Amino acid sequence: MKQIAARIAWSVGLILAVIVMCFSLVHLAPGDAALVIAGDSGAGDPELIEQIREDLGLDDPYLVQLSRYVGDVASGDFGTSYRFNEPVTSLIGDRIWPTILLVTTALLFAIVIGVLVGVFTARRPESPVSHGVTVFSLVGYSMPVFWTGYLLIIGFASNVRWFPVAGMRDVRFEGNRFEEWLDIAHHLVLPALTLGLIYLAQYSRLSRASMLEVLQSDYVRTARAKGLAERKVVYKHALRNAVIPVITIAGLQFGALLSGALLVETVFNWPGLGRLAADSVFQRDAPVLLGVLICSAVLVVVINILTDVVYRMIDPRIRVGGSS
Amino acid sequence: MEPLLSVRDLTVTFGSFTAVDGVSFDLHEGQTLAVVGESGSGKSVTALSIMRLVELGTRGKIENGEILFRQPGGEVIDLVQQREDDMRKIRGNAISMIFQEPLTSLNPVYPVGDQVAEAVMLHQGLEKAEAAERVLEMFRLVRIPEPEKRMVQYPHEMSGGMRQRVMIAMALSCDPKVLIADEPTTALDVTIQAQILGLMRDLREQTGAAVLIITHDMGVVAEVADDVVVMNRAKVVEHGPAVDIFENPAEPYTQALLASVPRLGSMQGRSEPAPFELVEYDS
Repeated sequence: MKQIAARIAWSVGLILAVIVMCFSLVHLAPGDAALVIAGDSGAGDPELIEQIREDLGLDDPYLVQLSRYVGDVASGDFGTSYRFNEPVTSLIGDRIWPTILLVTTALLFAIVIGVLVGVFTARRPESPVSHGVTVFSLVGYSMPVFWTGYLLIIGFASNVRWFPVAGMRDVRFEGNRFEEWLDIAHHLVLPALTLGLIYLAQYSRLSRASMLEVLQSDYVRTARAKGLAERKVVYKHALRNAVIPVITIAGLQFGALLSGALLVETVFNWPGLGRLAADSVFQRDAPVLLGVLICSAVLVVVINILTDVVYRMIDPRIRVGGSS
Repeated sequence: MEPLLSVRDLTVTFGSFTAVDGVSFDLHEGQTLAVVGESGSGKSVTALSIMRLVELGTRGKIENGEILFRQPGGEVIDLVQQREDDMRKIRGNAISMIFQEPLTSLNPVYPVGDQVAEAVMLHQGLEKAEAAERVLEMFRLVRIPEPEKRMVQYPHEMSGGMRQRVMIAMALSCDPKVLIADEPTTALDVTIQAQILGLMRDLREQTGAAVLIITHDMGVVAEVADDVVVMNRAKVVEHGPAVDIFENPAEPYTQALLASVPRLGSMQGRSEPAPFELVEYDS
């Protein structure tokens, strides 16, 4: 518990560093925010530009702007979008849940199926299925995520029409809450599959290797010597040990998963944070971009803390001793 | 008297390599039989073959031979011919095993009490609470201090000697007729070795189980064995009562094995140890 508290305290410092770094990068980027806000029609009016600069404090020194921004963020104010003229928190609030839904589904799909496939192939390492999984993993890992997305759209949305091409909801949808969830789930299949496939390939390889090692361990031999059925030996005694590296890697890769979500959201027109970030870059909407970056950093930090908690639940050597 | 366990002409291979070649010996009720030999002589593979564990998790194959076991009802069965389902009822129950590495033989993610209780619940059909009582009883039997506290601990919270006691408790928890101990003291320091050997001797007297001990340590053999089987290069080279083997070893390999035991005072009058003589033996 003490270690988790220390981890949270450390994470607060980390997020602060991320805020400073993101703000500095955006501040250093070329372009004038006042011109963006004034738009095409107002860009020719120097008085309007000056007024905007004064209102937003854009003429203040960098450190003044930074400390003002950090103070605002600490009180939950991420500023107002230049483009939408809406609070950034409300824009992120609308977009964060689709991203969390997409990323969580893809991650769970990759972990659960990846571990099951890994266990299956580790038990039959020389079988054709095992070799097939190795080839599939290499292919899955090598394919760019956007290309996988387009292949799945062509295959399952355009040709056989099992799933919608893009979006999160059917624009013609009418129905109750349960039907609405079903509609979202229907739209979620292809994006989650696209994002999950690359990680499925990695996790199945990782679990296979880990399981092969664990199945040779002395405690598995002890479990067999006790007379336990092979199913119990594998799923009770070996799996819990074999899954530890998968959990570790999944936690570490969450940041990469969020980056992948940006591409997937663009390909499938999924209304998440990734698309909001991409749009804000093209429209030089600095408050939104900063908000998304900070929000992503917080998500990564939270997931890493959760990974730590899960890790401790699975492996008592860390829970009791503090170190292994 | 009919033996409890009779290994007849056992041959085990790993691909083209023969790890055990035509090994035969008998184990009688209440007897302690030591199988000795250097590393790679086929001792552990023989033990794993009796449990039929050589085919699980390794690529070993029993090519030939019989392992006849007299069941508690008196019926004699050939373990080599048993189906895997039937072997599971025997493993950890009528025949159980202690392994060489107490530090790694217990699952690191489960409390030790649960790991012992698992065998009891499986073979004796006890409920969880009854199994916990049995575990406590076994922990007391193997002289684990504060057994109530120890049974909820994880392996990494225990010393090597304590973990080996847990392994012995696990092996004895279902009152086995045969206890196979594969180098049970090799990974332990000498004082703990003596404690574990003393414990095993006492337990054999209390439970009446026959013990098959696998070791390369002639000191351990002298301490516990009634009879000795000497193995080299997958074959039995000598077999007889322990006293005879120690006093009149017939085979050059057995003589070499006994001569290799370091003795106190062997460096008297020397500035450095005598060079170790390599013994070549062809069976």
